[in-house]
Order: sequence, then C-alpha cells, then structure tokens
Amino acid sequence: MSREHLETNIIRILRVLGIIFFVVIVAFPFYWMIVSSFRSLEEILMQPANLWLDITKINFRAYDEVLFQHGFVRHISNSTYVSIITVVLSVTLATLGGYAVTRLHFRGQAFMSYSILVIYMFPAIVLVIPLYVVFSHMGLRDSIHVLILVYLAQTLPVALYMLHSYFQNLPVEIEYAGLIDGCSRLGVIWRIIIPLSAPALASVALYTFMIAWNEFLFAFMFLDTPEKFTLSRGVVQLAGSVHLSKQLVMAASVLVTVPILFLFLFFERHLVQGLTSGAMKG
Amino acid sequence: MSALTLKTITKRFGEVIAVSNVDLDVKDGEFCVLLGPSGCGKSTLLNIIAGLIPQDQGTVLLDGQSVDRLAPRDRDIAMVFQSYALYPHMSVSRNLSFGLRMRGVPKPTILESVQWVARLLGIEDLLDRKPRELSGGQRQRVAMGRALVRRPRLFLLDEPLSNLDARLRTNVRLELKQMHHQIKGTMIYVTHDQVEAMTLGDKVVVMRDGKIHQTGPPEFIYNTPSDTFVATFIGSPEINLYRGKLFQKEGRPHFQGAGFSLTLDKLQTDLREGQIEVGIRPEDIGTGKPGTVDLTAKVEMISYVGSEKVIHARLGDEALTFCAPKDAVLRPGNVVQVAIDPGRVHVFHKGRRI
Repeated sequence: MSREHLETNIIRILRVLGIIFFVVIVAFPFYWMIVSSFRSLEEILMQPANLWLDITKINFRAYDEVLFQHGFVRHISNSTYVSIITVVLSVTLATLGGYAVTRLHFRGQAFMSYSILVIYMFPAIVLVIPLYVVFSHMGLRDSIHVLILVYLAQTLPVALYMLHSYFQNLPVEIEYAGLIDGCSRLGVIWRIIIPLSAPALASVALYTFMIAWNEFLFAFMFLDTPEKFTLSRGVVQLAGSVHLSKQLVMAASVLVTVPILFLFLFFERHLVQGLTSGAMKG
Repeated sequence: MSALTLKTITKRFGEVIAVSNVDLDVKDGEFCVLLGPSGCGKSTLLNIIAGLIPQDQGTVLLDGQSVDRLAPRDRDIAMVFQSYALYPHMSVSRNLSFGLRMRGVPKPTILESVQWVARLLGIEDLLDRKPRELSGGQRQRVAMGRALVRRPRLFLLDEPLSNLDARLRTNVRLELKQMHHQIKGTMIYVTHDQVEAMTLGDKVVVMRDGKIHQTGPPEFIYNTPSDTFVATFIGSPEINLYRGKLFQKEGRPHFQGAGFSLTLDKLQTDLREGQIEVGIRPEDIGTGKPGTVDLTAKVEMISYVGSEKVIHARLGDEALTFCAPKDAVLRPGNVVQVAIDPGRVHVFHKGRRI
C-alpha cells in the first residue's frame, strides 16, 4: 500500500470516528430526552437504563399533562409572543440602524458603528440586578413586555453588527442606481437592500428568536406570576416542583427544543449566500 | 440653451481636493467626454451632477435651472455605472422597467418602452433572465437599457465599457455612437481611455487633479493641446517632448535641445528667450521625406502596430519616437534621416502652450 493511500485511509477512518464521537456527544442526550418523554412513569422507574423505545408502548400522557395541567399551553404562547415581537422589532431596528451607520454620514457615525458591540460586552448577570431594582421601582417587573425590552437590548447589538457588516459588502452603486431610478432612501432600503439582504436578515431573525425563546435568567428574575411564565421558566418551575416526574420534564424540554430545531431546519435553506451575484461585472 | 452648466464646482474629501473650481457648459444633444487619469475627479464630478454626492461649492444647472436642492430621483437623469449595478433580484425586464414603475408610469406605456429599448439593444430574448444568467456584454446592455428606457434629459455614463474585453469594447463603442445619433440625448461620459474619448466625444474635457486642463472638440485638443499634460495624455504613441532653450538667431526664434536644434518660424509670442519645451507628435516626423529640418537618429527598437511601425530611436541624448509606413525597411542599429515639419511643432513655456 502506498504512503499516499495509507494517509487517505487514515484520514477516512479518523473522519468516521470524529463523526461518531460528535453524534454520540450531541445526539445522545437529545435522544434520551425524546425517548423518556414518550414513556410512562412506571416504565422509567422499572427500567431506568432502557434506551430502546418500544413503538407499541409510545405514550403521550406526559405531553397531555404538561400542556394542559401544568400550564404549558400558556407558556408556549407566552414564549411565542415574546420571541416573535422581539424578532420583528430587532430585525426592523437593526435594518434601519445598520443601514444608517453603514451609509449615512452623520456626526459620530464612526463612534456609533464601533461602539455597537461594546454594549454586548456586559454580561447579562451584571445587568440583571440593577435592572431588577430599576424595574421593581418602576412597577414594571412582572411583565412580559419588559422582557421583550430586555431581549431587544440583548440582541440588537449583535443584530446591528451582523447587518452592518453585511450592508458594507453590498455594492453602493446598486443603491445609487435606485436613488436615480426614483427611490427615496427608505425606498432603497425596502426595494433593494432588504431583498438583497434576505440571508442576513434570516440569520438575524433566527439568532434573535433563539435568544428570546431560550432565555432564562431575566425570565427567572422578572416574572413572578405563573401565567406570565415563558417556556424555559416553566420548565424550571416544573423541574423544581415537589412531585418530580422525569417524563414530564423531558416532555417539557422537548417542547422547548423542537420548535427551534424545525425553525432552524426551515431557515437553513434561506441562509445561503451569494444573492448579489450578477449585479456587478462579475 | 445649455443642457448642463456647472459653475465653480468644488468638492473636498478631508484634505484632498477632488474637484476644484470646475466650470463646464454642455449643449443640448452634445456628447461630452470627461477624460483623465484615475483619481482626477471625473467620477466625483459625475456623482455631483447626479446628486449622489453634494458639492461643497458651486452650482449645477440643468436646462438653466439649479438642481442643487433636488434629490437624484428628481433631476430627471439616468446613469450607467462601470460595475453596471443591476438589481440582482429582478429579471432583466423588471430591471429595465424599475425606474418607470417608481415614477408611476402607466403599465401599457412601461411595456411599450421596455419593448422599444430591448429591440434597440437586441436583448429581447433576455427579458426573463436574472442578471447572474447574463454575460458581461449582456449585462452592459441591460445597464444601458435601464438608462435609455427612461428617456431622461441627461445621460451620465461612468466608464461603461471598461469591463468589456477589447473587441467587444470597440463594437459597443460604435453602437453607442450610433445610438447617440439616433436618440439625440445629452450625454456625459467619463473615461480614462483617450481612444474612447476621441472617437465618441463631440466635446472632450481633459481633467487632472480635480481641474479642467482643456475643453474642446477632439481634433482641436489633439492639434492644439493647451499644456504639456494634455499633449502627453492625448495621442498614442505619446508625443515627443524636449526641454531646451529658446533664443534668437538672425532675428528668428530658435530652439536648442540636448540632441538637436530647430528653427521655430511660426512661433508667435512675446517671449524672446528662456526655457521652453517642444512637443512633436510621432506621426509628424517623417523618414527620408523632404523636410525643413533633417536630423540623424539611431533606431533602437521597432514595434509593429499593424497599420504602421512605431520606431523608438535615439536623437543625441534624447529618445525619439516616430511612425514609419508598415513596409519601411528598418532594423535596430540603423541610422536614419528624420524630417521634422517645424510648422507642426508644439511649443510650451512653463508647461503652457505658446
């Protein structure tokens, strides 16, 4: 066997081993979570180490209980509401703000574009206590809308930064052409920038949605009324409750994870690059 | 009335003066070429006319009306960009109709205009394609079409041919000239290519460092360059330029250079003596032909350019380039007699023509 051949084979084997390793690390807990959520409590207690899911014994009781007895319908709708509003606001504001720091010339433009990310440097744990105090004093604490505000503050810097760097790579001549052809600045953003930035906007939307959907710390600190709980807060509430039933927590965790998973798989196709190809001399 | 008038236009980018005190008058239907090396401010000037960049000083007038306060979309101009800048997410026909749609032109009229321009440019088959599915030449046509379809009062073209390959460029150049005759629009065309400028322009504006050096019809600029920059920038092969002394001998002005001397009988100036430069175009130098001044040059290198031969030779300490017929029998090392017609010698004092 030639040396080159040997090397190719070694690389091939290592690649397979690597894939197996990551699949086990990443997928196994996920698999266990799903399997457990479909079993009954008795089954889990009798055979806690059983990894095989018997198709005939699939059991939706846990989901039924979590959704309708432990208020997860409410949690899901809360999380959906918070996440979607955050996404809409974040994408809108980041598009306008990102465009402004990229193309418009105003006093402090350079400072603005560099300082965007500085806000992101503050860890959430540093901010949560002062914010808790401030919002408590203002009587705004136990409110979903305050949560939206906080998530917006958390996601907007990165969203702005992502769009800023994407907009910088859009050829300015296309905008010039739009301005001459009869668009206002907003018209250029709406008819040219936004269609051309679809992949970047999809990334920003997905990122913001994931943050808002999964966020726990602020939801934990700010929300007191169970009716206002978001999903992650709900799961922790459930896990901490007295009658700990493993399959219920697993079902709740599936409810948190699966929407993100499908959202990602759906958006993934839209995250392709190269929408501007053909505009320029190329 | 002038279609476009620029009055004392000045633009600075920080410390750099991109455009300095530019005055220009372009007549209705005129093909005006802004010519200059890169960085001379010609594209900036074009963007100022379009309203894409605000000038620091001066006024832009279209048909005698100041447009300084008008947004680009309200100036009724169209622009073709060097990079074409097509809208990549729109089909060719939507690219062409975009400007009309933005202006609320009725649908049947839009359809008619798009058909008209597609026929004019021969791109009827491409209307449903996206820009990325087009070749460079086709994209260039669509970019032209997008400007033409609006029938604006002023066309601005920013090096529209520079991304095409050489052969295509020559063809499109001819088409552009014909199209200009056909639609009779006023055009401002920016280029750094002197051949484009000379073949296309009714009027050529030579610029450098943000200033206009000379304005005029191509032949006028070629035959009477106003300064040494214009003389060297226009014309290929480049003009021969020699430094030397002007002096009077037997009441006639003479030039004494490092390699040769000339009698400048036709010189009309008050200058009696001093440092001057003389410029002689390569094609104004003949070999073996009877000329008033015969000089001896040594051939160093010969370039064949098809229709003629360009000879690089030594004249004393100076280099000399001249043109010979394509069948001239010359070899490097040959010593030839060259004849200069003093009537066709350009004389410059402190860089300016005298």
